[in-house]
Amino acid sequence: MNHLGGVPGPAPARTGEIAFDRRATGLTGIVVKGFLLSLITFSIYRFWYITNLRRFFWSRTVVAGSPAEYLGTGKELFLGFLVALAILVPIYIALFVVGLLSPALAALAAPISFIGLFVLGQYALFRGRRYRASRTRWRGIRLGQDGSGFAYAGLASLWWLGTIVSLGLVFPFMRAALERYRIDHTLIGQSRMRSTATGRSILLPWMMFYIVGLLPIVLSILALLAATGFDIPSDLLIQDPATEKSNLIFNPAYDGTPLAHYASAVGIAASVSIPLALLLIPYYRARETRAFLNAAHLGAARLTSSLKARQFYFPYLVYMLAVIGFIIVLGIIFVLLVPLIAKDGANPGIQAFVIVSTVLLYLGAILGTNVLYVRIITVRLWHAVATTMQIENLPALEAVLASTRAPASGLNEGLADALDVGGALEIGF
Amino acid sequence: MEAITTAGTFFDGISARPRPVTLRLTFRLEIAGEDIARDWSLLDLRASETARPLMRVTHAQGPESVEFADDPFAEALKARCPDLNRTESEGGLTRLVLWSVAAGVSVLLTAIYGVPAASGLIAPLVPQAIEAQLGRSVDGQIVSLLDDPPLCNEAAARAVLDRLTARLAEGMALPETPQVSVRRHKIANALALPGGRVILLSDIIAKARNGDELAGILAHEFGHVAARDPMRSVITAGGTSFLLSLVLGDLTGSTVLVTVGQAAISAGYSRDAERAADAFAVAAVKRAGGDGAALAAILERITDADDEKPDAISFLRSHPFTAERAARIRSLAGEKPAGSGILSDAEWQSLQGICPKPVKPEGTKPDNGKTTTTPTKKL
Repeated sequence: MNHLGGVPGPAPARTGEIAFDRRATGLTGIVVKGFLLSLITFSIYRFWYITNLRRFFWSRTVVAGSPAEYLGTGKELFLGFLVALAILVPIYIALFVVGLLSPALAALAAPISFIGLFVLGQYALFRGRRYRASRTRWRGIRLGQDGSGFAYAGLASLWWLGTIVSLGLVFPFMRAALERYRIDHTLIGQSRMRSTATGRSILLPWMMFYIVGLLPIVLSILALLAATGFDIPSDLLIQDPATEKSNLIFNPAYDGTPLAHYASAVGIAASVSIPLALLLIPYYRARETRAFLNAAHLGAARLTSSLKARQFYFPYLVYMLAVIGFIIVLGIIFVLLVPLIAKDGANPGIQAFVIVSTVLLYLGAILGTNVLYVRIITVRLWHAVATTMQIENLPALEAVLASTRAPASGLNEGLADALDVGGALEIGF
Repeated sequence: MEAITTAGTFFDGISARPRPVTLRLTFRLEIAGEDIARDWSLLDLRASETARPLMRVTHAQGPESVEFADDPFAEALKARCPDLNRTESEGGLTRLVLWSVAAGVSVLLTAIYGVPAASGLIAPLVPQAIEAQLGRSVDGQIVSLLDDPPLCNEAAARAVLDRLTARLAEGMALPETPQVSVRRHKIANALALPGGRVILLSDIIAKARNGDELAGILAHEFGHVAARDPMRSVITAGGTSFLLSLVLGDLTGSTVLVTVGQAAISAGYSRDAERAADAFAVAAVKRAGGDGAALAAILERITDADDEKPDAISFLRSHPFTAERAARIRSLAGEKPAGSGILSDAEWQSLQGICPKPVKPEGTKPDNGKTTTTPTKKL
């Protein structure tokens, strides 16, 4: 089957390819326009910018010869944001007033609002996904999502609680459980998708990440706790009397005690493990994406993914090099400007010029990194996930029928935007 | 009209099954395939966004669509279909931009002018109990911000301070007698908090040369209390930072913008409040029998000269320049009255000992360049 031509051959294809053009012609224009207009419209334009981005990525993703279609509009997102504002503003104000009026509650207000916003954020994530699904069309068939946002938020909160209690050991099982809930409530037309994702399938990559990145920190902290009888002296870290008061140092009073050894073990473990953990995140994410995609199916049709971890590393590497190059260019411009600043700044004309060019340089830097980020990270990750994916047993997918359900309301995603959870584009299903 | 044909795929919008068809474009679009025969008017065709050479054409009424990959055919179709790229009710971009700029500007104007004005109206309406509660919690925050300085409560000196407070507050329309507390600190300053609380930092007592100067400082803070300035600044700070983060919230680097903007707005507003409190202080000290101009003298003494040059960040100053303030205070105060001032020499000696072990005279740099957003009114 000629998957670019969209013309199926006489015999129906058994597998469907997913294609995405990595050159992404026209994307830079969308990003530049979106950034500049967001800037002058006090960022109200971002809803239209997000919509344009999604329309671009959806329409360039060609599934079994037919491009997907994004049907959402900026106006829907904007209205959803206004509704979310109407709900969130009173909550924020109430939290602010409580914190101001009662010092006893103020200490509690921060954790309470954190937990409350976390649960609300999970709810918003699920509802945002519902909006995106219902605005996605392929071959005239709309996707959809049912299930309850509150149920999802409750499930996610319980699993997170379990993850924290188990010191992170059940994390992959949480990811799998939430993935199953999401996929099992995803519909293509009238047909329901199913996921057989298991925590076991990603246990190995997680354990690798865990042993290298988290376990040393967890163990050394536990050892420190055990050594102190679970009662860390509050003056273990004190303010450095020699230098600025914000500089914390280890209290010399504890020098030579076993405590000092354990505390320095925590320090060493953290300084080795945190960079290693950061390095292993793309590996884990690639493995998880592959495992979860392989577990998704719709009737007899199933997804297969051959995603490689290096395909997740490469974009970040390229991005880092690009940003370094970009910073060098900016630095050269800045060096050219320095003589102007160094010369007696009494001339108001030159002063104004320096201020204006600094502001322009700053905006240019943000715009540049935005463009680089979308063009390199987003495009390449999207491309990696899409093109390594295949649909096995395509005819089963082609048999799905359109649903008569009304598409979800645009209000679904407002909360997610107001809480700032979930990006414009999420890689993966 | 010349007929063009190409091969395509037809989707009925009910199932995802692709059906091979032949497209024939004349003055209508004819679609023919196995069991399919459509004859669409060119006016009813709508294209959706796709990457070339792929193209999808949907019928405006109904779920059916065709997809094909043929550039010349797509060009011909574009030339012949007037409404091909029409989308329903596409709001003009210009309108969107203009209205959102207008919305942003009106929120900004509300933050700059509306909130300070509104806080002046709201502050007197705040119930006494709530303000007192707020004062307690702000007091705790300030004390921990200053690294928990010890309270100075030497009994004899305390009695003098209480008498001075009562005498100054006598002729004022204060909701209640202010609660003055003294804390040992090497910054020469005084603060007014919500709920009629005033904190004196011990260095200001050390720097004062007579009772009238200290009385001027105290009366200045009482002036803030009488005008409900601390409560107003709580409301103003909360309101403006909320509105600013609403407008600037999602721009990059917005935290800086919001902080600077909020500081600029509340500073501009507080400079007026400072002038009013100065005038209030002069009147109160004169009424109590002291020298109103003494406030000018101590202000000049505690001011760092370097801090007084007008520069690029002058708009962030919460207080007017000291020279300007001193000149106004002196012109309001008029002649120095006869007599020893508000406190007798003995009383003044005793008051100076309020912090039993005086701190070593360390560097006497006033707290400058720091724009705190804590709801207090400093000197």
